[in-house]
Amino acid sequence: MDSSNDDALDIIVSNVVATFRTRCHLNLRTIALEGTNVIYKPEVGKVLMKLRKPKITASIWSSGKIICTGATSEDEAKQGARRLARCLQKLGFKVRFSAFKVVNVLAVCSMPFAIHLIDFTKNNRPIASYEPELHPAATYRIKNLKATIQVFSTGSITVTGPNVQNVATAVEQVYPLLFECQKPLCE
Amino acid sequence: MLTNTGPVAKLYLSIIDDVIESMRELFLDEGLEDCVLDDLRHLWESKMMQSKAMEDFRKNNINSSNFVLQLPANYSQTDQDVTASVVIPASQNIQSFPRLKNNSETLATFSLPAGLAYPVQIPAGVTLQTASGQLYKVNVPVVVTQAAAGQQPARTVSEFREAAAPQSAAVPQNTTHPQEVEPSSVTASSVTPPPPQKTSLPPSQESTVPQQPPVPAAEGPQPQTADSPEPEVTLRENEPSPQLEPMNLSMTASSCTQLLDFQIRAEEALAQTAPLQSRDIDDILKEVIEEESQKVERARSLAAGKTGNQEDALGLDLDYSYDDLSDIVQLDGPADNSDLEEEEGVPLEENDFLGIINAEAIKALQEGDASSDGNSISSSSESEGAEDHVIEEEEDPLNSGDDVVEQDIPDLFDTDNVIVCQYDKIHRSKNRWKFHLKDGVMCYGGRDYVFSKAVGEAEW
Repeated sequence: MDSSNDDALDIIVSNVVATFRTRCHLNLRTIALEGTNVIYKPEVGKVLMKLRKPKITASIWSSGKIICTGATSEDEAKQGARRLARCLQKLGFKVRFSAFKVVNVLAVCSMPFAIHLIDFTKNNRPIASYEPELHPAATYRIKNLKATIQVFSTGSITVTGPNVQNVATAVEQVYPLLFECQKPLCE
Repeated sequence: MLTNTGPVAKLYLSIIDDVIESMRELFLDEGLEDCVLDDLRHLWESKMMQSKAMEDFRKNNINSSNFVLQLPANYSQTDQDVTASVVIPASQNIQSFPRLKNNSETLATFSLPAGLAYPVQIPAGVTLQTASGQLYKVNVPVVVTQAAAGQQPARTVSEFREAAAPQSAAVPQNTTHPQEVEPSSVTASSVTPPPPQKTSLPPSQESTVPQQPPVPAAEGPQPQTADSPEPEVTLRENEPSPQLEPMNLSMTASSCTQLLDFQIRAEEALAQTAPLQSRDIDDILKEVIEEESQKVERARSLAAGKTGNQEDALGLDLDYSYDDLSDIVQLDGPADNSDLEEEEGVPLEENDFLGIINAEAIKALQEGDASSDGNSISSSSESEGAEDHVIEEEEDPLNSGDDVVEQDIPDLFDTDNVIVCQYDKIHRSKNRWKFHLKDGVMCYGGRDYVFSKAVGEAEW
């Protein structure tokens, strides 16, 4: 969903994080011993299970909560989560797939221009914050969308939001602000 | 006997020894006879040698011949100093033989790797034993060379004879003299396996006549002659000069067959038998050794009579297994052990650690989840709004695997390549794994390898 202002600004979703519950207690040791492609981290108390087909890494806790990361789309995240649940079911647990929720979507976007961060921050004073000694990017938070945009002086931005739709909207929202503070213009 | 043993086999044998010895008392306490234990031991050893050594044998026989050098004790061959260092300028390794004292009665066994383009220098006083078991004693330092597999029809065999053997080579010419190799072509004559002493070798005093010593191959006519063009051999009579001269045998080798003709000076009359049909390095060295054995017999009149007895008579016993040394060396240490990608992660119960890294997943790279398709998920029609209605049991969206795609679990453990070991450190970055392993046994390609350290890398 590109804004009408820009022509084909590519928003690339790089990561989708989702959680779900299995509604049953999971024996991590069993999973670690019998599961395939698992990494047991007893110090933390979780098992990582990596899937190949949707490239997904899942953190499995004994409470039955599972966090699924690495997907490139929401659908993929769902599919991977189901596969994971199926895997656990095969291991013998009474798994029920419930409470699937996409928690976070990370996308990157590249502006065709560089950005003058100081000006950008000045123009958007409360919403944008820039601390160059801490982090080279200016942070712009859109409250109603619950999205956070990190703006880099090269023109690249990263957007994180609760779902893909919000992310797209956030990009559209921030684009004109960025456009104002293009570097060659301000120079 | 267990002559062709690699370091792994030696380890296994020592393990067998330990177990058997520790069991001896128990067996006796139980009232079982000692012979039962010995039977068990023999059975065990034979099975082990069969399963593991078969690969060794096969590998050796296929590639080239095996030699077991036995250095006789108290070998005092006049001027010639028994250079106990055998330098084999193999293409890969240079095996330097430990220095053997003349007076020490040790039997140094040492196998030559097969397939190397060898200029093999064999010191005097060495008994060579081919893979077939024949023992041949070399009294003269022999350098067996092989022309680089180039099928050169003409070979020159230059032979330098050490004049250490004072005995006159009063070897009567055998009937097989006519079998000598003509420069034109040499048809590998069938070699009959006479007793090793019977190798007939023209004496040094003979006139320069190209002679072809017969090769008493234990295995009769070598079947290898087929393809190789008979190499021509130009034999030069060794001049009866009393200096130490290494014997130089150049032989062309076909892929399998090596026809060697060389002239060996013998001191006693050796019945020469069998036309020479096909020779390989075994046969040549057999001849050499036999000739030398004659000399030694004469010279020493020791128990070097039958080469078969030499094995027993010689006390020097240095087990030196060369055949797989290169492999073993390369597998140990920091060498990249790409083999790890295929095995490892044995039956999980056997692993010490709980952090299971399933490196067989590497294998599954090819299969992956190919079997499972992602489309079935989209075909699932269950409602997704069950987030807050967790109490609704009927809502179970998993559908008991009906729509849920089932992840393909490849038969990751259905592999024969297995490593059983302990780990020092296992590290992962994204999908790159690095393994630091220790104290393990690996069964790869049917063969066993033992390591104290292994390092590997893999990608998942």
